Amino acid sequence: MYSQEIQSVLEKKKIRVGDRILVTTKKAEYEGFLMPKIELGDANCIVVKLGSGYNIGIKFDKNVSLKLIERGRAIKFKSADVKVAKDPKKLDVSILGCGGTIASRVEYTTGAVFPAFSPGDLLLSFPELKEIANISGRKLFDLLSEDMTTAHWQAIAHDVEKEVKAKAEGIVLMHGTDTLHYTSAALSFMLQNTPVPVVIVGAQRSSDRGSSDNLVNLVCATTAAVSDISEVTVCMHGTMNDDYCLLHQGTKVRKLHTSRRDAFQSVNVLPYARIFYAGRKIEHLRNDYKKRDGKMRVDDKVNPNVGLFYTHPGMKPQVIEVLAKVCDGIVIAGTGLGHIPSNPNNDAFAKSLVPSVKSIIDSGIPVVIAPQTVFGRINMNVYSAGRLLQQTGIIGNNCDWTPETAMVKLMWVLGHSKDMKKVREMMLANVAGEISSRTEVRGFV
Amino acid sequence: MMEEKKDYKKIRLKCGLEIHQQLATQQKLFCGCSTTMTEKNPIMILTRKQHPVASELGEFDIAAQHEYLRNRNFYYQVFNNESCLVECDEEPPHMLNREALETALQVALLLNCSVPNEIHVMRKTIIDGSTTTSFQRTMVVGLNGFLRYKGEKIEIKHVSLEEDAAAIVKEDESSATFRLNRLGIPLIEVGTGIITDFAPEEVQDVAYQIGMIIRSTGKSKKGLGTIRQDVNVSVKGGERVEVKGVQELGILAKVISLEVERQLSLPKVAKEVRAALADGNTKFTRPLPGAARMYPETDVEPVAVDAEYLKKLEENLPESWEVRLKKIKKLKISDQLAEQIVKSDYVDLFEKIVKEKNVEASVVANTFTNTLKDLRREHMPVDNLNDEHFYKIFELLKKRTIAKEAIHPILKELAREPDEDVVTIVRNLGLEAITVTELKRIIQEVKGRNPDATKDKILGLVMSRVRGRIDAKIVVKEVK
Repeated sequence: MYSQEIQSVLEKKKIRVGDRILVTTKKAEYEGFLMPKIELGDANCIVVKLGSGYNIGIKFDKNVSLKLIERGRAIKFKSADVKVAKDPKKLDVSILGCGGTIASRVEYTTGAVFPAFSPGDLLLSFPELKEIANISGRKLFDLLSEDMTTAHWQAIAHDVEKEVKAKAEGIVLMHGTDTLHYTSAALSFMLQNTPVPVVIVGAQRSSDRGSSDNLVNLVCATTAAVSDISEVTVCMHGTMNDDYCLLHQGTKVRKLHTSRRDAFQSVNVLPYARIFYAGRKIEHLRNDYKKRDGKMRVDDKVNPNVGLFYTHPGMKPQVIEVLAKVCDGIVIAGTGLGHIPSNPNNDAFAKSLVPSVKSIIDSGIPVVIAPQTVFGRINMNVYSAGRLLQQTGIIGNNCDWTPETAMVKLMWVLGHSKDMKKVREMMLANVAGEISSRTEVRGFV
Repeated sequence: MMEEKKDYKKIRLKCGLEIHQQLATQQKLFCGCSTTMTEKNPIMILTRKQHPVASELGEFDIAAQHEYLRNRNFYYQVFNNESCLVECDEEPPHMLNREALETALQVALLLNCSVPNEIHVMRKTIIDGSTTTSFQRTMVVGLNGFLRYKGEKIEIKHVSLEEDAAAIVKEDESSATFRLNRLGIPLIEVGTGIITDFAPEEVQDVAYQIGMIIRSTGKSKKGLGTIRQDVNVSVKGGERVEVKGVQELGILAKVISLEVERQLSLPKVAKEVRAALADGNTKFTRPLPGAARMYPETDVEPVAVDAEYLKKLEENLPESWEVRLKKIKKLKISDQLAEQIVKSDYVDLFEKIVKEKNVEASVVANTFTNTLKDLRREHMPVDNLNDEHFYKIFELLKKRTIAKEAIHPILKELAREPDEDVVTIVRNLGLEAITVTELKRIIQEVKGRNPDATKDKILGLVMSRVRGRIDAKIVVKEVK
């Protein structure tokens, strides 16, 4: 937003964003389109797009005058009108937008980037899709993935069910990448016995650039959506190259890099498949997936009131005690094989968290352990710290879940029962591949 | 000459220049990578696709671009210290390099431009694969300036600062390979208004002056390809043709006159882009595009240029090239050589060496102009030579360890083996200087072995033993 001072002058002169204006300062004159103010930069600078296409900022003060030269045209995108006849030989894939602009259109006059969701827009941006499936698409909601809540997971689950009932033969969910792996875990628990593939896809590079990974990711995700891998999966770049994507199991995947295309990798297991962009070839890496059959059951009961935290050297017991006051369940991302400060050597400086954990569990709040190393399996039998912690009744020994999957699962389990015995039983039962019995040799980056 | 100039007036020759100069800053424009471009072997090669982004372009245009790009692979060579995740389009840009911005602002002020209060980085769409992002980051730092030439004001439309694109290695119908080490090197772009009624040589002179102004900041990169020009050429009644990528200032006049001849020989001139060839001729590349497709680079914060900072820059601008030329002319050096050195990439180094090493200015100037030109003609990789090499050589010259005749062969060897020690090269080539006494001893020895030889024969035999180790004139004098 521009400063009050600039806004009142614009109002007085009836100048709107997009209008062609003349800005006269003491030293120079600049003619161009008035641009909207972006979040960054000085609110008291007028941003003008010159004829050359460049934007510049001109500091506004009493020596600066503005003049309207020409009214700008209203900037609005009509959805593209791309019609494709339905091909009976191809499967019907429904693409749903859950935020994160995997597809967009650029308006060069203002530099505005508009999200694109209609099937026409998708086919205009990614004509390859019509070679794979009959595409339909719609937007569920528009929000940053870090703003996702359990309510959004539930809404997505119900929309997927609706699409499947309407005979969609494959689902692609476009999603912001930051919390994509939380959603994939949640849907893995909520969408039980899905008869069609549910593939979640995102893009690490913004969709306004021709180098965006959106094309390869979306083409590969749609290829996965017409395959027989009827599970909740994540489809993202396998390497920094635009050659293939990896199809990950929804509960065993994590974003491991802030920005690289291949940020998503499988944890402790192999991905289900490699999907090559060229030729749309699927190379299976595992065969233990569910095939297309059965009837979907949505089990979306969750309790969002779960906390997740990392333990660290010198941690105060009060931290977990405070958390217990506001949460119905806690996941500790412990160090190494599943440890927290426990001070078995009675060191003068160290403080044990074990008594706090014990009293929290005794008060009826389940505490779950997961590895902050991300990769590997919890084993609390090896060191005395682990053995001490086990005695508190903490849940998760021998589990190889990621902290995020453990947290989502605890939310889901607490949505079903508050009884400690039942919670323990459900947590330790493998529901959606989140706990594997053997740790794959190749299950590490 | 007069006759020729009149001709160019008659045909209403109009030229517009765009000069691009790479900067030798510590780091690249938007990341911490080195700008040296010395690494030879890539650590990996990335394979990428690009695709058009829907915009106000018609659906047909997009379909055509899709068709063009869909079967095209772009390969990018990644270098260990000279490219990071930013060049790979795997990480957002870091903050704008202040050293590069300051240099660009100096150039803008030297060219009498007005400077925006806030500088906005833009994304300029590019689909030839020469950037991994499919756009080039660029910002305008100066507008509406001028340059004085022969009593006239040459308009400077803009001074911009942008990231250089990746250099192409090879290309065929379905792929193109690029080196990522050039991508992201700061590049200053100076665009002139239309220069009317000057002869091609004069337009070249204007380009030289702009080049010298950028060089006066002391931050420009040296060597072939570090300065590149685009020039628009049109003649009376004809369309504007853009010639891209003239790699050497010295051939600009030739490029313009050949393009004028080409245009005059055609019944109708098409509006198009042509690429400059090394011999001054041009070839067709693509039709001229419309207005640049630019939109804001939202990953980089706009940079405020406050009045106080600008004033400080204005008060501390580097000396003009005219003042510099006057100073150099005072160094017991011919006017012609002084003009050559002031136009050369090596003028900073020349001044430093003359001052610090206290060697004869004409020898240093000759090395940086004529010797290097000769070596280029011999196809020696002169760009491998760095400042340190020259310092070492002139130090040896100062200490009389070598004669000035040895400079050419030493540089030749160094250009081929830039990692070799200068002293070792001198020893291996047997180029240690000899005194007149030693020369006399050698002459006596040669005469003793060849009692019947003529003086010319003796001179030849002696020269073959002392070439490059002592002034040839002394040898001639001593033999005769």
